[in-house]
Amino acid sequence: MTPSPTPSKPQAPHAVRLITPSHSGYLSSIRALVAVLASTVGFTSDETAQIEMAVDEACANVIKHAYAPHKHWLWQHREPEIRLAIFVERDRMIVEINDHGQRFDFAAYQPTDIGARLRELKTDGFGIAIMRQFMDEVTYHSDDETGNTLRLVKHLKK
Amino acid sequence: MKELRIEKETKGKVHLLHLVGSLDMHYFPILERQIKNLFQQGAYRIVLDCREADYVSSAGLGALVGFAREAREHDGDVRLVNLSQNTCQIMELLGFTKVLQTYNNLNLAITSFTKLPGAP
Repeated sequence: MTPSPTPSKPQAPHAVRLITPSHSGYLSSIRALVAVLASTVGFTSDETAQIEMAVDEACANVIKHAYAPHKHWLWQHREPEIRLAIFVERDRMIVEINDHGQRFDFAAYQPTDIGARLRELKTDGFGIAIMRQFMDEVTYHSDDETGNTLRLVKHLKK
Repeated sequence: MKELRIEKETKGKVHLLHLVGSLDMHYFPILERQIKNLFQQGAYRIVLDCREADYVSSAGLGALVGFAREAREHDGDVRLVNLSQNTCQIMELLGFTKVLQTYNNLNLAITSFTKLPGAP
């Protein structure tokens, strides 16, 4: 009898892609996929929860802000979608969240410190600060051809 | 998709809400409605039992801060119990545990309200 191969993490970088309608009902499915892939890379349960939250916040922002009905979407003719590309690599995970809603001036946005907002008992506006706290790299690119892409990267701790 | 289910229970003046599911952007409004209903009935002492809650978004946590603030103005509070280790860790890292009271034990969470004015 041939022994079954031992499951191991993929050696070459590969992307897992998921496209969902821009609807909050899909957030739990997105989080579930992210959690499974994060554990494949080797992140701890705590780190996986942080990645899940960062991605959830990013997708919630797309639904709430980028595709808000009164906003000017980049591609008006296409139904609102969230397109995820998750790259599982040997020592890091990259999550790209792409949409074609309204462009966001990410470079100019300076989120208030979470602690300061809480001390003032503010109840919202934590999303981007959370992404920056929980992920190692957070970058944003927008152009008319490819839409808006938020790139979140987390490295495995050595 | 995991729906949010809420089971209600009353212990004296304390209203317990047992949460099963996710408190994300999609499902948090269900809890929001329940808490607002309790406030409308004059019930401001609320314990959220999160033993079976698998996720809380920052918008959810932020809204709970707002509810806790409103409840405290009426000698009450919104307190959380039995949070998962991951949620606890995230709340601590972000600083939410400084503004929301959390407990590991349901009875402790309920009896914590006896220290408030007018408690039975």
